[in-house]
Amino acid sequence: MKMTFNDFIKKVFFVEIAKGLALTMKELFTPAVTRQYPKEKRNPFPGARALHALVRSDVTGEAKCVGCGLCAAVCPSKCIHIYTTEGSDTMKVVNRYEIDVLRCVFCAFCVEACPFGAIALTDHFEYSGYSREEFHYTKERLLENWDKYMAGDKGKIYFERFWGPKEKDIAHSKPSVAAGGGA
Amino acid sequence: MTIEKTEANGRLKAEELTLNMGPQHPATHGVLRLVLELDGETVVKCTPHIGYLHRGVEKLSEHSTYFQVLPLTDRLDYISSMSNNIGYCTAVERLFGIEAPERALYIRTMTGEMARILSHLLWLATHALDIGAMTVFLYCFREREKLVDLFERLCGARLTVTYPRIGGVKNDVTDEWLDSLFEFTEEFPGRIAEYETLIDRNRIWLQRTKGIGVISAEEAVNRGLSGPTLRGSGVAYDVRKYMPYGVYDRLEWEVPIGKNGDVYDRYRVRMEEFRQSNSIIRQCIERIPSGPILADEPKFVLPAKERVLNDMEHLVQQFILMTKGPQTAPKGDVYVATEVPKGELGYYIISDGTGKPYRMRVRAPSFVHVAALPGLCEGNLIADVIANIGSIDIVLGECDR
Repeated sequence: MKMTFNDFIKKVFFVEIAKGLALTMKELFTPAVTRQYPKEKRNPFPGARALHALVRSDVTGEAKCVGCGLCAAVCPSKCIHIYTTEGSDTMKVVNRYEIDVLRCVFCAFCVEACPFGAIALTDHFEYSGYSREEFHYTKERLLENWDKYMAGDKGKIYFERFWGPKEKDIAHSKPSVAAGGGA
Repeated sequence: MTIEKTEANGRLKAEELTLNMGPQHPATHGVLRLVLELDGETVVKCTPHIGYLHRGVEKLSEHSTYFQVLPLTDRLDYISSMSNNIGYCTAVERLFGIEAPERALYIRTMTGEMARILSHLLWLATHALDIGAMTVFLYCFREREKLVDLFERLCGARLTVTYPRIGGVKNDVTDEWLDSLFEFTEEFPGRIAEYETLIDRNRIWLQRTKGIGVISAEEAVNRGLSGPTLRGSGVAYDVRKYMPYGVYDRLEWEVPIGKNGDVYDRYRVRMEEFRQSNSIIRQCIERIPSGPILADEPKFVLPAKERVLNDMEHLVQQFILMTKGPQTAPKGDVYVATEVPKGELGYYIISDGTGKPYRMRVRAPSFVHVAALPGLCEGNLIADVIANIGSIDIVLGECDR
């Protein structure tokens, strides 16, 4: 292949490399897009799927969970463990509700499955620890997570926008509304 | 090492050296191990060893309901999990004989093309970094960040999205989200031009890629290659054109092909695919209809949340679908191929009528492409092994499954 004069000039004067360097030089004067992570933090978008929480009911002040076990059944990584007994008035009592966070794949199927809006994934993603036990979340710690990261309007918006029906607030309504009759 | 003079050409001949490249080698794009037999700098024999990332996805899926398999497919090709999800959902829908609503198909097509841009951006970034162009790596991640942010706004996860559902998609897209995506598509062609300014005519890039790893069209077809790796050799085969799914048959787009089948042509094909994907996304945004996002098929598709909360039948339906899977799944098998960024991803699902797949086989493009690697590498220099691995674009999560 014969080299034209134009090609020859381009080859001798490194035209394509000069163009590339001009581009990188131009970028030098544009604002930086990187964030200095531990110092500068970006807020996760609403609905981000991170650490779990059990919803605390506004009515009773306790967990909304009734221990139906649907979340444990649908969980693809089998990280939810629920232990229930029969209470005094033949009601089901949730003794232990535990999530092994290290096993979780954050698919949020548990939130999708829950017929009571009783479990949520908060947007808190920065948790670390020195032992495996720290990631074994018990019922009390999961309720604590709700108070810490989702209490108030945040939890309400979360359920309304991403999981709930559009017109009804499933996370904060009275349990009897959501129970679907006394069947 | 013994050195002796060969009689044939008078060159010094050294004893062959066996070199293990990987599994922890940054340029093998995962945990691929290559056993290379070297004569000086020339590769005499190349043997890929795979299986370091085997998690038994196919076996696990036999013990999960059709719904629970979805997060497993995320982790096949974790760079473009959206495409895997879409492929799986399309396959299961065809098995069940249901159809996703129009709006859901448009959303899937759109997000699938976003996943293609994401995957190609990561490919360009790491491939250029392997060959020696650092700046492209940084620029590609700048655009990637915008797209994964859009994914996070849409479904709450950035990488393993689990967004499509059997019979539709999980969340509806909002107008603000579509506006942000449209903004991205407006600026993105300029960004592609930037990458091209940096490497397209760069003489180092050309020397590292032109005429390297040549694979003829016939050989590429015989080896079962697919995707941009096949199209780089000049074969215009694209699943989206030949077996359309989603709304690809209703949009205007072209299949870019290469000519020589070398690393450079495969690079060019992917750069053109950026533009095509960008145009597909724009067309989807302009034409997206309003309507439901989940099919109204109570036997197979999860009921809407308001129905679950308000009447008993749907609550029971939700319990059955989530714990046991659909109880009326038709018996039979189905093979559905989709075009993922890497190539042709196929799901072969056998159903025995229960709520769990009897067998699910994944036809992963990376697995086939790894098998073509020895043919590309043998007889060439060891430095070209890196360029070859990059150009066939493999992900070991998908290869080992």
